[in-house]
Amino acid sequence: MEDWLYIGLFVFISIALPAVAIFLAGLLSPKKPNPIKNTSYECGIETVGPSWVQFKAQYYVYALVFLVFDVETIFLYPWAVAYNQLTLFGVLEAVLFILILLSGLLYAWKKGALEWM
Amino acid sequence: MNLENLVAILPLAALIVWAVLVLLVDLWIPKSRKFITALITAAGLALSLGLTLAQNGQSRSAFGGMVAVDGFAVLLNVIFLASGLAAVALAYDYLKRMGIERGEYYALLLFSISGMMLMAYASDLIIVFLALELLSIPLYVLAGFARPRSESEESSLKYFLLGAFASGFVLYGVAMIFGATARTDLAGIVAAMGSGTGNPLLFIIGAGLLLVGFGFKVAAVPFHMWTPDVYQGAPTPVTGFMSVAVKAAGFTALLRVFTALFRGDVYADLWPLLWGMAALTMIAGNVLAISQKNIKRLLAYSSIAHAGYLLMAFVPYGTRLQGDAVASTLFYLIAYGLTSFGAWAVVVALEKNEGMGLEIEDFAGAGRRYPWLGLAMIVFMLSFTGIPLTLGFWGKLYLFRTAVEGGYIGLALVGLLTSIVSAYYYLRVLVVMYMKPGEPVAQGGPWVNILAVATAAAVVLLALFPGPILDLVSKAIMLQ
Amino acid sequence: MTALQIIFLFVAAVTLASAVMVVSARRMMHAALWLVLSLAGVAVIFALLDAGFFTVVQVLVYIGAIAILIIFAIMLTRKAMEDVGPQLNRGWWLAALAAVGVFAGLAVVLVSWPGVNASAGAGPDANLIVTFGKDLVDPHKFVMPFEVASVMLLAALIGAIYVSVEHKGGQK
Repeated sequence: MEDWLYIGLFVFISIALPAVAIFLAGLLSPKKPNPIKNTSYECGIETVGPSWVQFKAQYYVYALVFLVFDVETIFLYPWAVAYNQLTLFGVLEAVLFILILLSGLLYAWKKGALEWM
Repeated sequence: MNLENLVAILPLAALIVWAVLVLLVDLWIPKSRKFITALITAAGLALSLGLTLAQNGQSRSAFGGMVAVDGFAVLLNVIFLASGLAAVALAYDYLKRMGIERGEYYALLLFSISGMMLMAYASDLIIVFLALELLSIPLYVLAGFARPRSESEESSLKYFLLGAFASGFVLYGVAMIFGATARTDLAGIVAAMGSGTGNPLLFIIGAGLLLVGFGFKVAAVPFHMWTPDVYQGAPTPVTGFMSVAVKAAGFTALLRVFTALFRGDVYADLWPLLWGMAALTMIAGNVLAISQKNIKRLLAYSSIAHAGYLLMAFVPYGTRLQGDAVASTLFYLIAYGLTSFGAWAVVVALEKNEGMGLEIEDFAGAGRRYPWLGLAMIVFMLSFTGIPLTLGFWGKLYLFRTAVEGGYIGLALVGLLTSIVSAYYYLRVLVVMYMKPGEPVAQGGPWVNILAVATAAAVVLLALFPGPILDLVSKAIMLQ
Repeated sequence: MTALQIIFLFVAAVTLASAVMVVSARRMMHAALWLVLSLAGVAVIFALLDAGFFTVVQVLVYIGAIAILIIFAIMLTRKAMEDVGPQLNRGWWLAALAAVGVFAGLAVVLVSWPGVNASAGAGPDANLIVTFGKDLVDPHKFVMPFEVASVMLLAALIGAIYVSVEHKGGQK
């Protein structure tokens, strides 16, 4: 439970810090708005069109591939924690697990699912 | 010890390795040579079939009780692998004709069959759930295999949404049973419930949720709504495969889990539900099939109706007739499977591009023009109805007998009456094929024709000599 | 009331409130972001129950991947981003009734359970994960589900790619 307390503390601080900064800035800064100041800041370039634009469907494939390998990580996490106490057979089991999914990566690669568009 | 475990599931392991191999090899096979993928796939299925047959007569458990290798698993695995071969034969020319010849069909098919085989081995609820997912996920994609055709995509989406829903029910049921007994292996659950440490309320809720989930998979009323749309939209070889193998896999799950877990008091609570489901499924499937004009929808409703007959054979599983219930379910599965694949082969042969040629009216004249296909269709329709001299007759006879001896005479009566109703729409197909003029074109290719004629021959020959199959199903005993 | 209970009540309230926002927010994108908060609340509840592994799963898979996937899906479909239609349809009371029914049923079942008042006597967390890791590759325990899970993930990956990648050469 102690460990969680530290993590909770970190979560609290990481939320509080920017919140306080933004709040203080809003409180202290002088307010003289004009239309140019109110436009969103994009590295000095004028923004064009709405900010909520439709993304290319290709991104979804990356997300899907990412999800699958994310779940793989979850399976390997307890295995990695127990790594020091495993037999050779146990290690090979996980290698097989990775190899099976590796063939999926190979498929994705060859199909062009990973190509940047 | 590790090797022993691996040997126990060798047919499954070989098939999975082969599936990965097919997936990778196909990447380097040019588009014009996809028949090579089909041949490799068929070889893998044959290899696994051989390994399965070598397991005949074994009865042991492996992987710490996760899987059971027994006569039941062997027989069902033979059914699944044979279904796979049939699905390859159906697709061989079809995919090229429809312009969707892609290697993924075969890889996904093999993955789906792996899931089914795992289901046959399963003796742990975790494995049951994983097997259910492994067999379903590739099928969601296969249903939409003809993308970007919108009917196919619609079929895929509907199947996926409802299938995911059903998987959720199964998982929730597993969670409830785990909550009740703190075990997931079937033997452990039976022991926990027997010793009185389990929570009976959670247990019965779990049983109900599992019934809903498996009911979806076998398309039993009231969980059948997806069937006609999915069957109609999916590419026809996939539909044929679904109508046989998925149903068989669903009944595998029901037989494995229910006969082991839900007996005694729980059975006393469950059987009225099962009874109602079986009766409703038979009535709704047969009645709704009457007004269908599209052959794929007709066969979809017919498959619902047959799920009802299979459920009828399954209902007496908790009485002293358990052996008969299992055997008659398996017998009917074999009879239904052979007949159904044959009928789908005829549909594949007569289908035209863009989903045309699938109205029953389009079959007009086919009987005269293609005497072999016509003759085969006569056999299939009679076998579906349950007319003597076909395997369907013995199947129905056996399951009616099981139901009557189990004391479910009302259910048998419903089955008998709905069978008579079914004769109307099955025979109408034959009337159109023989009595109406028309010029259909059969272009299924050699393998589809061989499949149609071979299954028709099997349906007739095995009906004349039903001994071997009766022998097989009565030996398909589960390890418990 | 202990500090732990106060934290639990606070987190549970946040989780439930953001869950309500998920279904009532007018913009899909906002609903998705509320969902992230709700999932994070569940992660904290897992942590409070000393279920470290599930906390990790919750954060890594649900917040890290599934929420991202949902947000992607919303950004990919123009319609979904602009949809500001009514939040209720005619059947809303049926859904509410079903939800209340399920809640009542679960509550009754759980209260009837003798273990409902027992405190969780979980052992040291780190060792639990080590045990789990060892069991995952133990041939007498979970190696079978472990390997099958990877095959299932592979099948899902192929399926996802087949469905979403446009096919080269004609067809499309």
